[in-house]
Parts: sequence; structure tokens; C-alpha cells
Amino acid sequence: MSETKPSRRQFLRTTGTVAATAGVLSGVQAVHAAGEGTIRLAIVGCGGRGTGAISNALSVPNGDVQLVAMADVFEHRQKASYESLVRRFPKTVKVDKENMFLGFDGYKKAMDVLRPGDIVVLTTPPAFRWLHFTYAIEKGLNVFMEKPVTVDGPGSKRMFALGEKSKEKGLKVGVGLMCRHCDARGELFQRVRNGEIGDITMMRAYRMAGPTGYAAVPPKPEGISDLMYQIKNFHGFLWLSGGAVSDFLIHNIDECCWIKDAWPIEAKAAGGRHYRGDNIDQNFDNYSIEYTFEDGAKLLMNGRTMPGCHKEFASYAHGTKGSAVISQSGHAPSKARIFKGHVMTKENLVWDWGKAEPNPYQLEWNHLIHAIRNDEDYNEVQRGTMASLVTSMGRMAAHTGQTMTIEDMLECDHDFGDGLADLTLDGDSLLQPAENGTYAIPQPGLNPDYEY
Amino acid sequence: MTMKRTLAVLFTIAVFADNLSAQNSPTVIEIPAAVAATEAEMKPYGEIIEHTRVKIEMLPIPSGKYWMGSPTTEKQRRDDEGPQREVTLKPFWMGKTEITWNAYDVWMSDIDIQIRKVYGKKANERDLLAEPLTISKPTAPYTDMSFGMGTRSYPAICMTQHAARTFCQWLSVKTGRYYRLPTEAEWEYACRAGTTTAYSFGDDAKKLGEYAWYYNNAGEQYQKVGQKLPNPWGLYDMHGNVSEWVLDQYDKEGYAKLGKQLNNPLSVPTTLFPRTVRGGSWQDDAAQLRSAVRVASTEDWKEQDPQIPQSIWYHTDALHVGLRIVRPLKTPSAEELKNLWNKSEPIQYDKDNPKEFKE
Repeated sequence: MSETKPSRRQFLRTTGTVAATAGVLSGVQAVHAAGEGTIRLAIVGCGGRGTGAISNALSVPNGDVQLVAMADVFEHRQKASYESLVRRFPKTVKVDKENMFLGFDGYKKAMDVLRPGDIVVLTTPPAFRWLHFTYAIEKGLNVFMEKPVTVDGPGSKRMFALGEKSKEKGLKVGVGLMCRHCDARGELFQRVRNGEIGDITMMRAYRMAGPTGYAAVPPKPEGISDLMYQIKNFHGFLWLSGGAVSDFLIHNIDECCWIKDAWPIEAKAAGGRHYRGDNIDQNFDNYSIEYTFEDGAKLLMNGRTMPGCHKEFASYAHGTKGSAVISQSGHAPSKARIFKGHVMTKENLVWDWGKAEPNPYQLEWNHLIHAIRNDEDYNEVQRGTMASLVTSMGRMAAHTGQTMTIEDMLECDHDFGDGLADLTLDGDSLLQPAENGTYAIPQPGLNPDYEY
Repeated sequence: MTMKRTLAVLFTIAVFADNLSAQNSPTVIEIPAAVAATEAEMKPYGEIIEHTRVKIEMLPIPSGKYWMGSPTTEKQRRDDEGPQREVTLKPFWMGKTEITWNAYDVWMSDIDIQIRKVYGKKANERDLLAEPLTISKPTAPYTDMSFGMGTRSYPAICMTQHAARTFCQWLSVKTGRYYRLPTEAEWEYACRAGTTTAYSFGDDAKKLGEYAWYYNNAGEQYQKVGQKLPNPWGLYDMHGNVSEWVLDQYDKEGYAKLGKQLNNPLSVPTTLFPRTVRGGSWQDDAAQLRSAVRVASTEDWKEQDPQIPQSIWYHTDALHVGLRIVRPLKTPSAEELKNLWNKSEPIQYDKDNPKEFKE
């Protein structure tokens, strides 16, 4: 591994970016330090995961946390979210009617209900993340944001800058890459650092699970606008979510990069639309991405949403001395293990976690609240943005048919979020359909510079 | 319940009654061995899922009487296994094996519809009737629900009872023959297959390895169905591999509240938890594989589902729970379907469908 580019190596190292040097104490983050007072939450984006995140927040042991405001663009989603939460947490869900906001400007109104040092939960489709985060920083709010945090290069540049700004203000920011908070993977990380599998030369990751989420989007029915239909099916549209690659593959890519303790610098990829039928989304139904790290090591990431095929949701690392399971059973439990050699059998088992693994979705919240209560540095934006950018790099390599580097991504002038701040409930989408209701799809090789 | 939903449910039930009252109706797939007017005519047959190569082997189970539950003298017995009751049952067919991913995934991932589209086949009457029971049912999951344990010929797992029931409804409309989950009484009757011992091969747990996949021999995962020895009635994996959904509500008081003589009993569920699964699994020790053991579903079975409201279709943590289907000789009337066999409360609404969502 070359040692000649310290600045770049610094940039590409995954660890160390979170635990920054002792932060500037602005006074903002100290509001809830030492257990002072109830932490209030506002949720922006009341879908299933956002509501789940609130449930985790309200379940933090001795958290003293309340939900006070909710924003969404779909009334039925907001209602479903509220009713599920209030049933589970009748004492800590305290959202007055006037603090339920509908519309694209609802995020501001919901955050206006909070005081500095409270937490806003950003769980809309990722397209809106930087816009909402900008306002959260302005208001001095701590933040939990779901992954991915960006969907393209220009958005990532914005997010890197916002991350710095939030750090300067001393805000605590959690990013929903919950596998990073898993105890078993954490011990694996230490063991790999200790050289137990030697130098990692190759990693493999799979998210091959048949139809997933809203990746396949059937033709739009009457009675709903293009914009609202796209948001409802956000996995299908690149501007909103980065599509199936960004939304589904990011966890495997991120956990591999964590264990490798580096980010890849380049990606090439293949993929295609084999079974799309009359679906109108922009996704391929299979992706095969080869990432290259600076030391030449590879990460092979396979994603597939075809039904009836081999299923596997797992990440593995291969080193010069042995191999490891990073995860093998979806997100949790990780079943992290180390083997001698590359044949992962019981006989070759060197280490396993050996006990029940706590739910990482809960751990990420326990850690965030702990950091706020104890006024510890806690900012996951840099690594969350790198994970999002690297994932987008693989997707863009598949969609354009070109080799993509981190620099290519950051220099790319296709800003998926151009015009985002001006969306209205009855207005046009940033992506308009053709007359027959279909959308521009990636054309590898024929459209080598842009994904659509 | 919204009007639309009500109509859909009634429509499905009505379709059934119509189908099954007229054997020659074009909505029944013709399988000669599957036709029987009397118990004596019941034969084994292979049910098919059109447009796919999937076959579900069904075996006739004779009508009869047995003692449900375990005697107080049985080793490792638990209180909920009794008091024993004499149960009389009508004849039915039962799946020779647990339902595999081969079959379940056709419903879950709409594979028959995809195959039709890819090969340019037109939807027939059954396909059209079945579509409302399969499109977006279940919603696409976010994870590999086989959790890396294998799919081809392996048992389907991780479904809620609602999903298992809906699968049966879909299969019924797809085939024109009425399928459902077994009742708890039917399940134990079929598991015992005329025996009164702890297991259907006797009381000696040392022989379990010949008949069942369980903790000691399964290698910490489920195994392909039908590899071990069957029970006296030809059914495979009743004792192990995966536990199996039955229709009934679970009651920890056991059978005490029920009468002493029972005819085709069914405890219609009135709460989502606990409901009943029967038969041990790859996660269980020998005692848990006994014929009389009852298992209650719990909310923990959804713990990993990070979405709220949690999915009505998946039990993300029930990697040990699958299903096996039955077909009664006599198809119930529309009224009986509505009030008994298809009934469970609370009605499950899908959060992803605003028209259905209601709390």
C-alpha cells in the first residue's frame, strides 16, 4: 500500500472521521448535557423506517425523550405513523394537532417547534436530506438522518460541507448506518485490525433477495400526480433515492469498507434490466460492481431483485491469513465470524461472537442519546456521506457503462436535486414522464456521462 | 372495514363457493386423482401451480377419533398440553411436506404472473381471480427472508399467520380447490397418525435423528423437506425442520375450557398474539418435538422489522416457522368460510395501502 499521499489517505480512511478532535463547545449542544431536561423530537418523513426510528428513540433506556412534531407530504402516512406510535408510547408521543404539518415546507414548521439541542429525525427519501439538514443546522438542532444521505456527486459535496458546519456548531448527528453500531461487527473490526486475517485482499458482498421494497414500480394509476407517485415509490427513481443500488446496497458496501478501514477509489460495474415488464422505474434488476481500493484490494458487490433466484444477503472479507463473515443473515444478527483459510467451515472457525446480538437499530439511538446527554463529540456525516458517495459511484458505473472514480463523482455536473427547494404538493416533479408514462432510464455506453 | 375491502373479501369467498359447487367449472384445474365425492375415493395427488413446474403432494388423511394432548405421565410434558380431549375429525388431505419456497415464492414474488408475461401467455380465469390475492400481497420485503439458508426444496419461513392464510386463499383460487391451514386438532391428529406415544415412532428420543431435523442434527439451519423417514401416514418432517402454522388462537390454559367430546374443533383467533404453531423445528431440542407440544407466537417474532407499523406479512425473527396446507374433503359453504375457516380478528390492513389502512 502506497504511503505517499497522506492527505488523500486521510480522506479515504473510514475510522477516525467520527471521533474528531475535541469539538468547539458552542453551548448549543450542551442544552441536554448531564441529563438536563426532556429531549424533544420532530420527525420529517413519517414512513415505516422513520416511524421505526422514532420508536427506537422513545425506547432508549432512561432516554427522557418525547415526540412533539411530525411532517410529511402524505396525510395517510402521517396518520398511520402517529397512531402506531401513540399506541406504543402513550406517555411520550405528545404531538398536538397544530404540530402535524403536511407539505413540502412542513420540515421547517416541524423544526420550528423544537429548541436548540433537541433532535430532528430526517427520514424522507434521501433527495431531501441536504435541504432539511441545512435548516436543522441553522436551528442548532441535533440530527438523526436515515441512509443514504446523498444520491449523487453534487449532493455529496453539499453534504460534506454541511457536515463540517454541523461539526463546527458542535451538533450531534447520527446517520442510520446501524451496522456500524453492532457489537459483533465492532469486535470483528478490532480483530481484523489486530491482523487476525492478515491484509484484506478481497471482499464479497451480496444483496440478492428477489423483489425488494418499491424498486419495481408499476405504471402510475389515475388520481395521483407524477411527483406524489414518485415519492410514494421512491426506490424506483434516481433523483429521490439513488434507486435500488443506493437504498439497498449501501449497508453491505459500508460494512465492508468499515472492516477494510478504507474507502474504494474506483468502481466498474455491469448490470441490466432483464425482467422489467411494464414497470416504469429507472432501476436495473441486477448489478455487479467491482470496487478497487487504493492498495489494489477489491470489493465485489452483487445486487439482484429478480424473483426465484439464489438468495443471499451477506458480506465476507478475505485476507492473506484467513477470512471473515462480516454479516450473513441480513442486517442482524451479523453472525460475524473469523476462519483460518478461505473455506468457511466449522472446522476452520477461529472466532465467533458467541452470544445474542443486541438490535443495532436500537443501539444507534442509545449511542446518539448518550452522546447528547454527555456532550461527547458525535458526528457521522462524513462517513455517511462517503458511504453514500461510494455507493452512488458503483451505481453510476453500472448505469453509464464507464469506470468511475471518486473524483469523477465529485466533478459530475448532474445534480439530481436541482430545483428541490421549490417543489409543491400540486406541482411538477424534477423528473417528468414521457407521454406514454415511462421515464428516462440509464443507457450504458450510449449515454456515458449521465445516468438519465 | 372499508366498503372496497369488504367487497373484495366477499368476492373471494363467493368465487370459492361457486367454484367448488360446480366440479366442471372452468375455474377448477383438472387433476383426476384430486376428485373425490366420498372418503373412500380420496387418493394421493399432486396439486399444481399453473404456469410453473411446482407440485404440492397431498395425502389423504382418514376421518377418525383420537385423544388430543398428552397424558400427565408423559415425560417433559407441559401444562398446556392438556387435559386430553377426545376429538372427532372429518377426512382431509394434507401436504406430504411443509410448503417449500418453490411454491411460496410463486405467490410471494408473483412468479406465475412474470412467467406468463415473459412467455406471452394470456391470463386465464383463475389467474384473473387470483390476482387481487397476490399483487402486493405480500408487499416486497427488504431482506432475504430465507436468511441465506437456501430456497429450492427448503421450507418457506418467516411468514405471519395472516400471510400463511392469504397464501392458502390464493392457492385455492389458483387451483379451484379449497386449501387452508390445518386446525390444531387436525395437525396433532395427523402428526400422531394413530399413535399415542410422545413421538409418532414411539417414546425413544434417541431415534429422533431418523425422523426429524432438530438442534442436534440440523447444523443450525433448516433442511430440504422430505429427507427423513415419514410418519405412519406418510407425512414428512412433522416433528422437526420447521414448526407449522395452524389456524387456532393459542390458550395457555390448554384444553380445559373445551368440552370433553370435540367435533372438528377450531379456536377462531381474536387477537394477533399469541396464535399457535405446531411441531418442533431445527432450533429445538428433542422434548420440543413431541406430538403434543404447542408453541405460542409472540411479538418478538417481529423484532428485526425496523419499520412501524410493522409488516403484516413477515415475522422477521421466526426463522423456525413455516406452514403445511390441508384440503377438507367437503368444501365449506360461503357462510362457513366467512364465519369460521377464513375468520380471524383483528382484520389485517396493509399500511402500504391507504384505502386499506385504518386503525
